[in-house]
Amino acid sequence: MLEMTIREKGCRGCRMCIDVCPTACFDFDEKEQKAVVAKVENCIACLSCAYICPSQVISHANIHHVKNFYRNIYFSRRMEKFL
Amino acid sequence: MSPEKIRLNTEWLCDCGGCHVSLVDLHEKILNVLESVQIQKCPVLTDEKGYPEAEIGILTGSIRTEHDRHAAIEMRKKCKTIIAFGTCAVYGGLHGAGLAHSREEIMDHVYLNSPTTRTNFIPATEVDGLEKLVTPIDEVIEVDLYLPGCPPHAHFIFEGLSALIEGTAPRVRQESVCGGCNRTMKKSDVTEIKNSADAVADDDICFLSQGFLCLGSVTLDRCLSPCPNHGIMCTGCAGPTMQILTEPNRDIRTEVSERMARLTEIPSEVIRKSMEQSAKTHYAYAMATKMIGDKPTFLIRKWIAEVEAS
Repeated sequence: MLEMTIREKGCRGCRMCIDVCPTACFDFDEKEQKAVVAKVENCIACLSCAYICPSQVISHANIHHVKNFYRNIYFSRRMEKFL
Repeated sequence: MSPEKIRLNTEWLCDCGGCHVSLVDLHEKILNVLESVQIQKCPVLTDEKGYPEAEIGILTGSIRTEHDRHAAIEMRKKCKTIIAFGTCAVYGGLHGAGLAHSREEIMDHVYLNSPTTRTNFIPATEVDGLEKLVTPIDEVIEVDLYLPGCPPHAHFIFEGLSALIEGTAPRVRQESVCGGCNRTMKKSDVTEIKNSADAVADDDICFLSQGFLCLGSVTLDRCLSPCPNHGIMCTGCAGPTMQILTEPNRDIRTEVSERMARLTEIPSEVIRKSMEQSAKTHYAYAMATKMIGDKPTFLIRKWIAEVEAS
């Protein structure tokens, strides 16, 4: 089953994930001023939230990976060697 | 030297030396490292001029002089694993901004027209020949591990070295500087980009929300975010995030302008244009690498080719 997690401490409370999510997966915790995953079953794994998140703390697991039309091959060959 | 110790060489190419100093930032942990590592060659510790055989080779700095190139090639020959250590080694570093000037302009400015010295000739023998371009080391030799950061924080150095020595998985995340920043991102009604010389930023609110250009959201966290947590906007010293490097259509200025426009009332087009006007600053650390330089919207290599053709 698809999983989506936000590393809570890394969330800056910008609400951008809430704004871009096409299927309303997120809620905002007003007390903590942080986004939370509310309806993971809605997620279509478009990854819009992961890309917009300024902290890059939203991660998805068990998703269908769509082949990239465009990729920086020069970097992608090296990516696994990056710490 | 005990035979079971892992032999380590380090070499210092074109950089400020901060990466070598950052090894000392391991503090007491350096004792743990030294239990299993024998430092053979290290420009700030040993008097070894040659390149002894070693298991691990740490290269800091980029290739700017003929000696840098020679040293990198010799290190590759003698070391089983080469670590590109620090932003200069990985992306070319801050002096990558030198690509905006020709070799002749740089030599003239430093040796002939320097406002602070009285020299009036370009040395022919005393200094190494300056190469035409700034080159990240992986364009000259094969690199086994990349560790960006200016310098990398001791946490990442320790994780990287431990992983290599003990074969464990390093405990690192590939998040941006924002992930470690304590400021809160709030939507605001700011309508103009501000300069740190003109206004004082609130300590608890994100710089972008307040109209200050901060590169935290486009910069890989290899520093534990000290600058934004101490009132200084991130300048992107550890180089771009993984998504900017993998996706050809994502770039430093487009990502910052999109996020800042969502937080403020400033149109993204205005932010993007402002960043383009000071591109040498915003792109300085990663300007020399093909990972940024080959993006379709990045024109500096085209400018160089045009100058060379004329």
